[in-house]
Amino acid sequence: MATRNMKKLAILLGILLATIVGFAFLIEFTGTGYFQNISILAGITLIAALGVAILTGYTGLFTIGHAGFMAAGAYMAAVLVKEAHLPLLFAIIGGGAFAGFTSFIIGYPAFRSRLRGDYFAIATLGFAEAIRLLLNNVKTIGSIKIGGSYGYMDIPTLNTLSWSWLPQDGWAAVIVVLLFALATFAMTHMFVTSQYGKNCIAVSQDEVAAQMMGVDLLRTKMLALFISAFFAGVAGGLMAFYYGYLTPGFFLITRSSDLLAAVVFGGMQSIIGPTITSVVLVAVPEILRTFAEYRLIVYGLFFVIVMVFRPQGLLGYVEMNFDFVRRFWRREPSTATGK
Amino acid sequence: MGTHEPTTDKILELRNLTIDFGGVRAVNDLTLAIAPGELIGLIGPNGAGKTTVFNLITNAYQATSGDILLEGKSIRGLSPDKICRRGISRTFQNIRLFPHMSAYENVELGLHAQPHYPLFESFVRLPRAARAEREAREKAHELLKLVNLEEHANATAGSLPYGLQRRLEIARAIAAAPKILLLDEPAAGMNEDECKDLVNLIRQIHQTLKFTIIMIEHHMAVVMDLCQGQRIYVLTLGSLLTYGGPAEIQSNPQVIKAYLGEKKDGRKKRVS
Repeated sequence: MATRNMKKLAILLGILLATIVGFAFLIEFTGTGYFQNISILAGITLIAALGVAILTGYTGLFTIGHAGFMAAGAYMAAVLVKEAHLPLLFAIIGGGAFAGFTSFIIGYPAFRSRLRGDYFAIATLGFAEAIRLLLNNVKTIGSIKIGGSYGYMDIPTLNTLSWSWLPQDGWAAVIVVLLFALATFAMTHMFVTSQYGKNCIAVSQDEVAAQMMGVDLLRTKMLALFISAFFAGVAGGLMAFYYGYLTPGFFLITRSSDLLAAVVFGGMQSIIGPTITSVVLVAVPEILRTFAEYRLIVYGLFFVIVMVFRPQGLLGYVEMNFDFVRRFWRREPSTATGK
Repeated sequence: MGTHEPTTDKILELRNLTIDFGGVRAVNDLTLAIAPGELIGLIGPNGAGKTTVFNLITNAYQATSGDILLEGKSIRGLSPDKICRRGISRTFQNIRLFPHMSAYENVELGLHAQPHYPLFESFVRLPRAARAEREAREKAHELLKLVNLEEHANATAGSLPYGLQRRLEIARAIAAAPKILLLDEPAAGMNEDECKDLVNLIRQIHQTLKFTIIMIEHHMAVVMDLCQGQRIYVLTLGSLLTYGGPAEIQSNPQVIKAYLGEKKDGRKKRVS
């Protein structure tokens, strides 16, 4: 029906308009600096949340430990820049790769022994806490001073990037982070629609059937964990170069649970859902600073409500599909199976 | 091919296969051999251990003792995914589709459990990956056509009616390009008409596509019809009772006894 296309188009335009108006208001009333900071934080959270979406949303493995991978990526990226003098971009990718390989330490034994559900989530939680405590207590590795609980100082920031095409006064960091977020978004979409991604989805829906159809469970799960840890590591690297210093306190369990919350609210097997929620979950507590303390209470309430009324998440199983825009344009009927 | 076990050309061989669950011996010293291209029926009363045999072949359960040979090579102890890739694929008694995936995605999964392109290309969709995706999609649609589900290709698997889900499972199992197809009660819960369609489908898969098939089935009409000129194995309480052609099995007093118990009241009972 054409009216259905029209309705969808109206919703899409409404969301776009609301976003633009929201941003305009934000810039108008709080100044560009504030807007820049929120965009950067939202972009960083989005990158890590997309990683969690691959692992939790698409592969069905719950994690409360992605702050650990962010920490691994962040510290590695910082070390690569400060000690190995690599360019920032290479360091960010390097940090991501390091976080990805770190994931094997927990992934291999956990998946080998078939840890699932809550048990795997607890294992990741323990792993993340172990990384944080390690960073808290190790002041130097060889000649590298990572500072322990005092923090790792004097990390160059994204705004020191001196490329001629990048605008200055704060926008450089925003653009770099958003480009990374865009790339992550595109890669996530490509991955989950690929044969590798579909194997992950199959594992999340019926592990036994997937294995009987020839899917190698260990490899598929390790792959999903690797990619999600890689994204978390990249997010961590960006964080290091945004703040200009790192302390283990950045990577508390609340950061992990924020990421999980974004994916659970946003919806299982959806990219667009976690994208929206991760931005909202960063922006709202920042804007309503005064109430930020009550954030976790509100989260808890939300969690319960979502789990009761919409266990698959707000946009669970809703795939991004802008086909209807084209259909509206050509006045074609919407597909019978279109969601 | 016939009602006697093959002596030389064997695709699958079970040797003294045994499994204990605690004190219960679910399958006891089972030995059988199957030649390529056969369509074997596996019947027996409830709890005879038929599905357990399938679970042993696919290593969902680990055998206590005995051996399983596929084309002369032992596959015992290999993980289920490896066994599938060696060429044994199955359907399930209690349907196990991927409920939130579409019908065609379910079939497609059987095709690419081993992805056809390197991981890197899944992120940047190079022409090779795009082509592999397109080929898989076409093949999946072909298989859906085979089982007559073409019009439901985009429907969510979990939303399909029961009978269609069973057909979809068969299509998915074929997609893995197996040498041996294990069908676990394909006719369960189907009415007469659906059974007839199913018999035609399985016959087509067996005769046209030349699959070797082992089928567990309770619907005697389906088994007797499909296994004409083939062998039927009868299991009871985990042990092999007898085997033979449909006529032999139907008139075998031991089989009748296994299904219906001892005659006590003198009335004549028959396996229908």
